[in-house]
Amino acid sequence: MRKLLLFMLCILPALTFAQGFQVNLAGQKQIGMGHTGTGLAQDGASIFFNPGAMVTLPENSVQAGISPLFFKSAFNPAGTNATYNTSDKVATPFEAYAVFGPKGSWWKAGIGVYTPFGGLTDWGNNWQGKYAVESLNLKAIYFQPTISVRLSKSLSIGAGFVYNRGSVDLTRAIPLSNSSGQDGQAELKGSGKGYGWNAGVYFDTHKGLTIGVDYRSKVNTTINDGNAIFKVPASVQASFPQPNTFKAGIPLPSTTSLGLGYALNKKWLLAADVNLVNWSVYKTLAFDYASNTAALQDTYSPRNYKNAFSVRGGAQYKPDNQWAVRAGGGYASAAAQAGYVTPEVPDANRYYVTAGLGYQAAKRLDIDFSFEFERLLSRTQTNIETQLSGTFKSNVYIPGISLTYHW
Amino acid sequence: MNKFRNILILAAAILSFAACKPEFKAPTPSHGSANFSRYISVGNSLTSGYADGGLYLEGQQNSYPSIIAKQMQSVGGGTFIQPLFSQAQANGSGYLTLTGFSATGSPITAPVTSNLAVTGIVPIPGFGNVTTYTKYTGDPINNYGVPGIKLLHVTLASYGNLNGFYERLLDGAEGTHNTAYLDFVTTKPFTFFSNWLGNNDALGYATSGGAGDVLTDKATFTALYSLVMGKLTAAGQKGVVATIPDVTSIPYFNTVTVGLVLAGVQKANPAVQALYINAKSSNDNGDQTYAARQATANDLIVLTFPTSKIGTLVSTPAGMLPYGLTPYSPIENQYVLDANEVAITRDYVTAYNNTIKSVADSKGIAVADMYTFLNDIKAHGLLIDGINLSSNYISGGLFSLDGVHLTPRGYAIVANQFINAINSKYGSNIPLANISSYRAVKLP
Repeated sequence: MRKLLLFMLCILPALTFAQGFQVNLAGQKQIGMGHTGTGLAQDGASIFFNPGAMVTLPENSVQAGISPLFFKSAFNPAGTNATYNTSDKVATPFEAYAVFGPKGSWWKAGIGVYTPFGGLTDWGNNWQGKYAVESLNLKAIYFQPTISVRLSKSLSIGAGFVYNRGSVDLTRAIPLSNSSGQDGQAELKGSGKGYGWNAGVYFDTHKGLTIGVDYRSKVNTTINDGNAIFKVPASVQASFPQPNTFKAGIPLPSTTSLGLGYALNKKWLLAADVNLVNWSVYKTLAFDYASNTAALQDTYSPRNYKNAFSVRGGAQYKPDNQWAVRAGGGYASAAAQAGYVTPEVPDANRYYVTAGLGYQAAKRLDIDFSFEFERLLSRTQTNIETQLSGTFKSNVYIPGISLTYHW
Repeated sequence: MNKFRNILILAAAILSFAACKPEFKAPTPSHGSANFSRYISVGNSLTSGYADGGLYLEGQQNSYPSIIAKQMQSVGGGTFIQPLFSQAQANGSGYLTLTGFSATGSPITAPVTSNLAVTGIVPIPGFGNVTTYTKYTGDPINNYGVPGIKLLHVTLASYGNLNGFYERLLDGAEGTHNTAYLDFVTTKPFTFFSNWLGNNDALGYATSGGAGDVLTDKATFTALYSLVMGKLTAAGQKGVVATIPDVTSIPYFNTVTVGLVLAGVQKANPAVQALYINAKSSNDNGDQTYAARQATANDLIVLTFPTSKIGTLVSTPAGMLPYGLTPYSPIENQYVLDANEVAITRDYVTAYNNTIKSVADSKGIAVADMYTFLNDIKAHGLLIDGINLSSNYISGGLFSLDGVHLTPRGYAIVANQFINAINSKYGSNIPLANISSYRAVKLP
């Protein structure tokens, strides 16, 4: 298991968003069913979706999956015919879970490593909004040791402690031309950590219906000694002292989920989830520089996110013991309000459809494929802070694969 | 194994999906009720692309008419030819570059003297010396911007002999020209025009501190403006005109302030209480009485004032006295647009602008109100696409090193103002220029 985890860490994850900058790619079985999972006990992904369900898993397992994410955003500035596209960079959200407990016991323990928040957008250094942002690479990797216990035949609970390793790399052009007419550039790069928890309750009626409630707490992530790199013409470099560091805090919001599962028969499984994401904690994006000058003041960019919700539904059909076919979809509301949409996170209301295929490759080995198409509704905006005005459109394509070994 | 092959095919199909980018439905291009097939631009240095105290190739290539013309391409605009300097003489008349900042933060500039297009200095009897430049030879031009020209000059047949920038556009030898500017620009048919004449009729007076030039008479301005507009619209052409900026909205008058100079003096000599200037005694343009008095914040010192003069001993009827610090040795008239001169200039500019707007309205021509636009920027700054712009010298991003003319970024912003005025008047949809792709002042 350790080897697997280390392997996953070597692929530097770069994440993008399913809402605000939340990523909902926590398990290929669940992605296939429209990201439902709070009210189900499918596999080790319960560590993320609902730790309360973990103890009800029939077997021990290790699993790992990855969902290469193609985020295609386009911007049409107001009053122009121009279109700017984000460059083709592939983010790689991943997840890995291990679940262990004595067979049929009242407890199970597990650990999950997953990437619930992040963003990778690269508009390049030659687009109309380059002074707002050129590129953002935001990553958050949650490590979550978890324990789950059965309270009764029907009721179980679980909870995990969350350690987040977060990093940010933000670049933007500075409107100071050098002698060749080229812009200056700011790069803010650093990593930090934060803590939180995840707890859930799972109720199995044993009549096909299962119910789950889960709460993943806010994780305040603080970057203390980020590197603030300013490339400006030599004659004004003194105004942008180098080396310089910055401090920034990014509050990753809490999520409350309610999920239902219903096994129609041996072949059909239905699921539905609703989520409430407490995005209103994200009020400002602030950078506090260690050395300030008249030209380099601390920045407080208003974000004023509002709470957002998503509704999801999905189904799984198992024609036999070897195959599973899955489908689902959902809708998520935007966290960024009118006037606060930024190109680094071109947030909008969105819908998505998903499909999945499960295959039992060997007695103890499952392979799961998933695919998601997500469309962000076209959003025409004038940002209050930058006055960047125009229309954003984004499509997201997310294939995924995971391997699960269970015994 | 067949199943696996199917899975691989599915995966390949999925990846090909991933190449699709979101697209926008472009609005149908429309020229509205205007015809942009041959657009000409009429005006002075601002129209020519003059910047950093000179006319040079890069400035010409970023002139606002050339930016407008580029944007017009998608709605039926034709080619737009400018009288460009050659690559070999790219520095044209020469211009200023920024070489650094002094310890106190003052900018240090140096003139560019290589690769010039200057061909000579010709004395013109009864006028003075005229610098001439390599003549433009090539296709007929669309950009008729001539640095230095006033509305007052447009009917003057001999003007080609008095202005080297105009001379280089004309056939024939210096000293023999007899084509008035207005006739020159209207020789070849055109379908659309921009007209930003009139700035120098006030600016010449203002930049010389009210000493080296006179304001064009208001009635003369009105008569000439009507004449120009009559000719430009003679064949039913549509066009756009611009109002004249308030001279006090430019950094040329707002950078070296009385407060700053006084503070500099007081650093060395705390006993100094005030600066003295030679100021106009009344706000009557006809009254030429000047007297020394203490300077106030309402007196505008020009950007080119050599501050090192302050405090140097100069000979006066009362003996050797420090320059600028006593009523007997005031800062000379040409360095200061004093409060009365400011009021006079403003009065004239307001009158000129009323003429511009009413003549344009009477002919159904679009007006780009640069007066209001630049005053708004001076009062509130301007935020575009994450760039904070202001009227400040160098740091503001809009004005070039001469403090009067614009940077490429400033010209692009002005071009968008013209485009907005054209679109709203004629129902066209000329796309706006991308401000971010134009530079501000180059810093070493």
